[in-house]
Amino acid sequence: MNNRLKVLRAERNWSQAELADRLGVSRQTVNALETGRYDPSLPLAFKIARVFEQPIESIFLED
Amino acid sequence: MTSEQTGPNKALKIAGMVGLALLGAAVGSATARYIDVSAMPEDDALNLFIGVVLIALSVVMTVIVVARPTIVAKGCGLLQTSVMGLAGLMLILPIYGADWVSAEVAMAGVLVLLVIQTVANVMLWRQADEMLRRIIVETGALSFWTLQLALFVYAAAERLELVEGMTAWGMIGILLAVYMVASALTAARRGIH
Repeated sequence: MNNRLKVLRAERNWSQAELADRLGVSRQTVNALETGRYDPSLPLAFKIARVFEQPIESIFLED
Repeated sequence: MTSEQTGPNKALKIAGMVGLALLGAAVGSATARYIDVSAMPEDDALNLFIGVVLIALSVVMTVIVVARPTIVAKGCGLLQTSVMGLAGLMLILPIYGADWVSAEVAMAGVLVLLVIQTVANVMLWRQADEMLRRIIVETGALSFWTLQLALFVYAAAERLELVEGMTAWGMIGILLAVYMVASALTAARRGIH
């Protein structure tokens, strides 16, 4: 699954560590999400959507 | 604050890898100087090797976690290194424990360490974020399938008297070696090196 996490984070000028802090996960997890090495659970996907104030489907895209 | 990758740059990564290689060589050299592994039973040698590797990794990871605490989920870094270090001690204590104290006292020491490590493992699971938990679960699954396959083949060969029996002490060494490789593989799949 593709996602726009890196772009959305860059638009807000947040570091990976800062986003990780907002999501309550490690920086390694944010890095894995951004590079497509890890697909989040539904609760984490909803949390990401809340943090970026966007619907899930505009952040996560099917291959 | 920059929004770009906050990880170390390439030069730092290479320096880190070289440093780790040198540390590994130093640990191996020091161990070989003080311990004649060739005079030990094979199962003892295997467990000693894994124990030393675990303790060395625990020390290196402690330094990394203290220097860069944000790389792992909050509160997990030192728990991970503690679990690793305790596992190393638990492997070395049965080999040398009886030289220092009675076998019963050494066994009691192993059990105390095991209880502490189990508590640390449970705490680690509870504090881990979802990706770390996924890595732990995948490591367990990969280890199980690999080991049950190997155990079946070995057991069949042993029953057919094609190979000699193995000690439980040797089996635990193999189990831990497989677990360490599985852990490294599953972590690498998520980009953790």
